[in-house]
Amino acid sequence: MEAVVVDAGSKLLKAGPAVPDQAPSMIIPTQMKRVPEDGSLSENSLCEDIVVDPVVRGYIRDWDAMEDLLHHVLYTGLGWEIGNEGQILFTDPLCTPKAVREQLVQLMFETFNISGFYASEQAVLSLYAVGRISGCTVDIGHGKIDIAPVIEGAVQHIASRRLEIGGVDLTKLLAQELSKSNPGVNLNLSDVEKLKENFSCCAEDEVAYAKIFNSHDGEEKHTLPDGQVIKIGRERYTVGEALFQPSILGLEAHGIVEQLVRSVTPVSSENHKQLLENTVLCGGTASMTGFEDRFQREAGLCSSAIRPALIKPPEYMPENLTHYSAWVGGAILAKVVFPQNQHVTKADYDETGPSIVHRKCF
Amino acid sequence: MSWQTYVDDHLMCDIDGQGQHLSAAAIVGHDGSVWAQSSTFPSLKAPEIAGILKDFEEPGHLAPTGLHIGGTKYMVIQGEPNVVIRGKKGSGGITIKKTGQALVFGVYEEPVTPGQCNMVVERLGDYLIDQGL
Repeated sequence: MEAVVVDAGSKLLKAGPAVPDQAPSMIIPTQMKRVPEDGSLSENSLCEDIVVDPVVRGYIRDWDAMEDLLHHVLYTGLGWEIGNEGQILFTDPLCTPKAVREQLVQLMFETFNISGFYASEQAVLSLYAVGRISGCTVDIGHGKIDIAPVIEGAVQHIASRRLEIGGVDLTKLLAQELSKSNPGVNLNLSDVEKLKENFSCCAEDEVAYAKIFNSHDGEEKHTLPDGQVIKIGRERYTVGEALFQPSILGLEAHGIVEQLVRSVTPVSSENHKQLLENTVLCGGTASMTGFEDRFQREAGLCSSAIRPALIKPPEYMPENLTHYSAWVGGAILAKVVFPQNQHVTKADYDETGPSIVHRKCF
Repeated sequence: MSWQTYVDDHLMCDIDGQGQHLSAAAIVGHDGSVWAQSSTFPSLKAPEIAGILKDFEEPGHLAPTGLHIGGTKYMVIQGEPNVVIRGKKGSGGITIKKTGQALVFGVYEEPVTPGQCNMVVERLGDYLIDQGL
C-alpha cells in the first residue's frame, strides 16, 4: 500500500497517496463547521454554526477538530480501513514546537493506530519538489510567511524567519479597502477571499503602483453571489503591494525580498551564493498574478551583492506546483524513507514514546 | 562496567542487527578529559570542547562557524537545546548528547542514517542520566 502524505495548512489540507509527479488527490479546506449535536435543522441552526479552524498560523491548535478532520481524510477520502492503517508522512511548518510534534505522533499511533510515521519540515520538502537539496524557500501561506535557508536538506534555524502575516491578513486588507471605496456594501469574508484569489495582482514596481494608486481608471464592476455590485480598481494592486511594502498592513518590516536577503546573513558566507541563487516560492499566495515578476525585479534592486534568483520547477511536475510543493516534496521523500525503514515504526514508538520523533525525523 | 566497555559494546555496537556500526564514538567529561573512546575517534582540542559546551548553553553559538571535532568541520543542524547537538558532513555526521557529567559522542558515515546514530547515542545518554552520570 502506498504511504499517505498529508500537508495540513491553515486554509487547505492537501492529502493523497505518495505519487510524486501528480497533484495531491485531496485538496480540501481545513476550516470546518461545528454542527449542533441534537441534529435539529431548524432555521436557528444556521446562526449557531461555529466555524472551527484546527490549524492556525500553520500550527495545529484544535486537536479534537484535527482528529475529526484526519478521520474523514484517511478513512473516507483515501479509503483506509480500520485495522489496516498504513504509513503516513506529515509536513511541519518552520519552528514547530516539540510538544506539537510529539502530540501529533501520539495522536497518529494511539488513536489512528498507523504502522509508520515520518515528519519533515515544509521548507525542505518544497526544495525536494524542485529537485534541490539546498536553497531558500519563501513560503507565503494563508496564515504565515516562512523564509528558510536550507543547506543539504537541513534547515538553518538560526537564519530562518517567520512573519505572522499571510493570506488571511491580505483578505482583511482587501475587505477594508473595498469597504472604503464601496460604502454601504455588506462584504462577508469568504466572498472577499474569492475576490482576492481572482483579482489580486502585483504592480510592476513601486513607481507603477504609485501611479495606479493615484489614478482611478481600470475599475471593474463585479457582482457578488448575493447580488450586490462592487467596484474593484486599485485595491487589487494594494493586496500584492502589501507583500513588498508591509507598512500597508501596518507592520514595521522590510519587504519580502529584503527579508530574504537579510535572513541569510547568519549563515556562513561560503553558502550565501548557493542559497540565494536557488530560491523557491511556494504557497497559495505566491501564485498571485505578477508576483514572480515583481519579486525578480525587486531582487535586482535589493541591497545584497548576490541577487536572489528563482528556480524553475522541472517540466515533469504538474502545473500550480506552488500551491502544493510541500506535498509533492513529501511524496518524493516518502518514496525514500519508508522503504528504507528510516521512519518511526509502531515498535519504536511503543519502546521510546513520543519523543522518538525528534530523534528519527529530520 | 568500565567506560571503555560502554564505548565498545553500547556505542560501537551492531545497529538494528544489520552489521552496521558507528564509525567512531567517545565519552568525554565536561572538563574535556576523555573517559573512553573508540580507536577511530579523533583527538579533541580544547577550544573545540569549549565551543561545544558553550553551544549547549547558548544554542546557535556554533552555527556560524560550524562544529569542529579533531579538525573536521561539521555543519550544525537541528538539535535540542542543552541536550543534543547534531552535525552533518556530507552523507555522514555526528550526534553529541549531554548527560549530567559527560558528553557522549557518536560519529556516523553512510549507510548509517542520522536517525540510527541518534538512537544509539541518545539511548546511552538517557541511561547514564538515569544512573546519575
